[in-house]
Order: sequence, then C-alpha cells, then structure tokens
Amino acid sequence: MAANSYGLIATFETVPELYHAAEQVRDAGYRNWDCITPFPVHGLDKAMGLKRSIVPRISLAGGITGFITGMSMIWWTGAVDYTLIVGGKPLFSPMFAFPVSYELTILFTAFATILGMFFVNGLPMHYHPVLKYDQIRRGMDDTFFIVIEASDPRFNLANTKSLLAKAGGKAITELEP
Amino acid sequence: MSSHAISASVTAHPGDSSTATVATKALRLGLAGLVVTALGLLVSGAAKVAMAYLVGITFWTAITIGMMLLVLIHHIVDASWSAVIRRQFEHGLAAFKWLAVLFVPLVLASIFYQKDLIWPWMDSAHLIHGGHSVGHDPLYVKKSGFLNTTAFMIGTFGSFLLWMWVSARLRKASFSQDLDGDLRWTFMNRKTAAFGLPIAAFSLTAIAIFWVKSLEYHWFSTMYGVWFFANCIRGALAVGILLMIWLWNRGDYKGILNTNHFYSIGMLAFAFTVFWAYITFSQYFLIWNANVPEETFWYNLRELNHDGSTNQWWYVGLVILFGHFFVPFFYLLSYKHKVVHSKVKPIMIWILAIILVDLCYNILPALKDDHGDSLPFLSFHLLWVITSVAGVGGIWFWAYLTSFPQTKLIPIRDPRIGESLTYHE
Repeated sequence: MAANSYGLIATFETVPELYHAAEQVRDAGYRNWDCITPFPVHGLDKAMGLKRSIVPRISLAGGITGFITGMSMIWWTGAVDYTLIVGGKPLFSPMFAFPVSYELTILFTAFATILGMFFVNGLPMHYHPVLKYDQIRRGMDDTFFIVIEASDPRFNLANTKSLLAKAGGKAITELEP
Repeated sequence: MSSHAISASVTAHPGDSSTATVATKALRLGLAGLVVTALGLLVSGAAKVAMAYLVGITFWTAITIGMMLLVLIHHIVDASWSAVIRRQFEHGLAAFKWLAVLFVPLVLASIFYQKDLIWPWMDSAHLIHGGHSVGHDPLYVKKSGFLNTTAFMIGTFGSFLLWMWVSARLRKASFSQDLDGDLRWTFMNRKTAAFGLPIAAFSLTAIAIFWVKSLEYHWFSTMYGVWFFANCIRGALAVGILLMIWLWNRGDYKGILNTNHFYSIGMLAFAFTVFWAYITFSQYFLIWNANVPEETFWYNLRELNHDGSTNQWWYVGLVILFGHFFVPFFYLLSYKHKVVHSKVKPIMIWILAIILVDLCYNILPALKDDHGDSLPFLSFHLLWVITSVAGVGGIWFWAYLTSFPQTKLIPIRDPRIGESLTYHE
C-alpha cells in the first residue's frame, strides 16, 4: 500500500506541538515533507531545517542580465548599427547608457524574482493530494498538519507512522495519491 | 512582554567601569589628535591643516546628523524593530555640543587670522583666476545674499543650536520614559520627529553648501545636499552597526539583539549604498551631459591638471566609484554578510573609510598650486586629515561613552520594546 499512497498526514493541536514535531521530523532526516498551518509560524523554517531560498540568486542573475542588455543595446544601436553624433557626445559612453541599463537592471530583477519565485514554489498548483483529506480545511482554521511524502527516501510506512506518533501527531492518516 | 523588559533591565549596566575606562581612553585619543593637528600648523601651514580639520569635523558631524535622522525617522514611521538600537544613536547625539565647540577654531581663523584661509568668498579682496577679486566677480555678487560671513555664522551655529535642541528633546523624552513609562513621551517624540525632519533636511543642506560646496563658490549642483544626506545616513548606520557589535562582544547586547536586527539595519546600509550611488551618479551625469563650464570645472579640477595630464584625484574618483558603491553593493547583497558579525564588521569599517575619502575628494582639491591645479591627494598633509579624524572622533566617542551610563541600554518602557525584542523579519 505504501507505494500507492501519497504519504502520511498527522494532526497537531497547538503551535508548540507542531514546532517540536517538526524538529523531530527534521532530525530524522526527512526531506520531502511539509507543515500546513493556518497562519505563518515564526521560526518554523528553522525547526523544519529549511535553507534560505535560492530566489535571490535568480534575482541577481536577472539584474546582471538587465544591466548587460541595457549597455550592449545602447552600444550596438549607437556605436555600431546607426552611428550618429548627438550633442557632441561620443558614440558610446557608459554615462548615458547608465540610466537605461539601471532601469533594465531593476525591470529584469523584478521579472526574475517573480518568475523565480513561481518556479521555485511550484505555484500556481490547482491540485494537491492533501486536498482529498476530509479534515484539511481545518488547516486553514485551527489545526496544524505535518505531511510526509512517500517519495521521501527515508519513508517507510511503519517507521514514519511511529515517528509521527512519537512526535505527538494525532489522527495519522494515509493520503491517496 | 514584561518578562523581556525585566530581563533587559537586569543586563542594562554590566560594564560601567569599562565604559568609564574606554571613555577616558577616547578623550585622551581625542585630545592627542587635536594637539598633533595643532602642531601641524607649524609644519604644513594654516591653510592645509585647516582644510584637513574641516574634513575631520565634517566627517563626524555628518555621522551625528545621520544618527539624529535615524532617530527621527524611527519615530515618524513608528518603527518597532529599531527600538533596541535607537538608544545608541541617542547617546551619539550628545556629541553635537562638542562638535559646535570644535568648529569654532575654523571660524575664528577665518575672521581673525586670514579671511580667505578656507572659504575664498569670505574675503572680497581674494584674487580669483583671471585677476579679478571676489568682490568684483559677478558670480559671487549674485550669490552674496547667501554666501556672506553673517549668513555662514547663522547657518553654522544656528544649525548646531537646532540640532542640539532637537537632540535634547529626543533624549529627554526617551530617557524619561525609562523611569515612568508614560506614553506622552512617545507622542512628544513623534511631534519632535514631525518638525525635526524638515529642520534636519534644511540645516544639513545649508551645512553641506556652506562648509563644503562653497569652497568652490562658482559651482552649481542641486544634488549636493542630498549627496551629503546620503553620506550622513551611511556613516550613522556604519557606526551604529559597529557599536552593536562592540556592545554584543562586551556582553551588553547578548540576549537582546537577534539576527533579524542585524539583517534589517544591514538592509538599510545596503539601500543607502544604492541611494548614495544614485545621487552621486546623477550629479556627475547631469553635469557631464549638460557640459556647461560653470559646472564641469569642478570635475575637471578632480581629473586633470592645467596641462591636460591626469591628476591623482581622477584615481581617487575611481576609488570612490568602486569602493563607495560596487564593493559594498555586491558585498551586502549576501544575507550572511549582513548578519554574521565578523563579516559585517569589515565592510562597515570600509564604508566609514571611504566616506572619509569622499569628503577628502569634495574638500581637499580646493587647495591649489600656482597653476590653479589641485594639490595631489597623496601627500604628507594627509596625516593632518588622520589626526583630525582621530581628534574629533575621540571627543565624539568620549561624548557617547559619558552619555552611555546615564540611562538603560535599551528604552525598556518604550511601547514598542516587546515587539523589538521578539523582532522577526
């Protein structure tokens, strides 16, 4: 059955219970798992052992691309493709190319950040197996869940179940794929 | 909330004796720096030493103005995270009265010793390029309604008085709240912030123009006050972060500051790096693009000698471009570099050093040789810049450290203190 299920979901009543359970799941070495909470819990990322997002790196790449695009566009149009002296200025100077490059840096950084965020977090996601769980709506109200996916290399139905139980999880249920 | 406030008050005075010791050391360093600077008069002459001293006093005044602005901004936006850091800036404001005193020698020298010693326009008989005197220079005559010695005195000491008054109100309200926890002190601070910010904006612009920009009174730049403002804030943030680390290492701030405080103030330091670059580039770019001689000469002085050869200031300009923007910009992009103490400390020292170079770049080329070329950056006279910065800086830290034990480490009864102690980004 384990191969046919999406994973296990366990219910927690309070934030401290969830927080400490998350620490135990983290310390057991699981990777493909998540917490479901009705509101953001400060410090939960640390309890889950989450690393900082890679989105800033994507933003930086976008920014550098934007800057180079601006500079090379103005250099190519002004100094290569259609040379024309304007206002006694050189055909190309980073001075007058800078405002445009700067704007494109910001624009491309914004694009890279938004797209990078969607790429990394997988949104929009119209279906997720936990939605089939009949109690899941309480996760938007007053209850906390931990979901451990069967795809996790350490997942083992019996062991994972006992880990969640030991961590204080209630109503441990297998999720349909 | 209350448990935090209590634990904070317990750790409020762990190092009084060492504060006093450090204060004495700072005072000694300050006096020694001032004495050596004064001895420099015998070695390098009045003009060079006075210009170096102007760099030193402008540097520390900028930092103190920045601290005042940060406290005012904290109150006007009702910030919470910075409540635990604010008190260090309030202690820094104690330096204003000493900076005012330390500025007096420059004024006395300009009145009694030699009128055009620092600011050429103070002497209408001062000869300018082409053989005319300042008094017959149309550009001066048109500007003389603002650029005259009376206006300079009112601008300088009026600004000092305003800063001291605003600082006294900020400090009184904040320190009194520690004792009674009355909310009216918070409202008083908010009112001070509402009128203090425009006062600060106008006065720091006046100071930037009178002290620094008027060294070349022919010049025009509408960005100058904002350029100075950017350096004020960057200097204050850098000193603030260094004080946070120092007080953390000493034990005062242990259990009070967390990663997020360093992250947030580091982000401000990063943001103002970009702001400084935006302003400084805009000033250069507009002048470069318009190419009007009344404006370009200021940069020409800092790039070329009269025979067209490149002078040292050209390289100083490049050092500022890379060191004041690119280095801190790329360095502070990283999260770790903002929060790990050993990583944020060197860049803040670097920023302070490069602000000093920026002030040198703006002030020292006013010293010229017989051809009208700016005297080079690298010279023996740079020693007097260093002694001035150490001298005024020693007095500055002495003022900070004597104010430090007068009250608690953090504003323990500030209504935002609980939020600040548990601050999460």
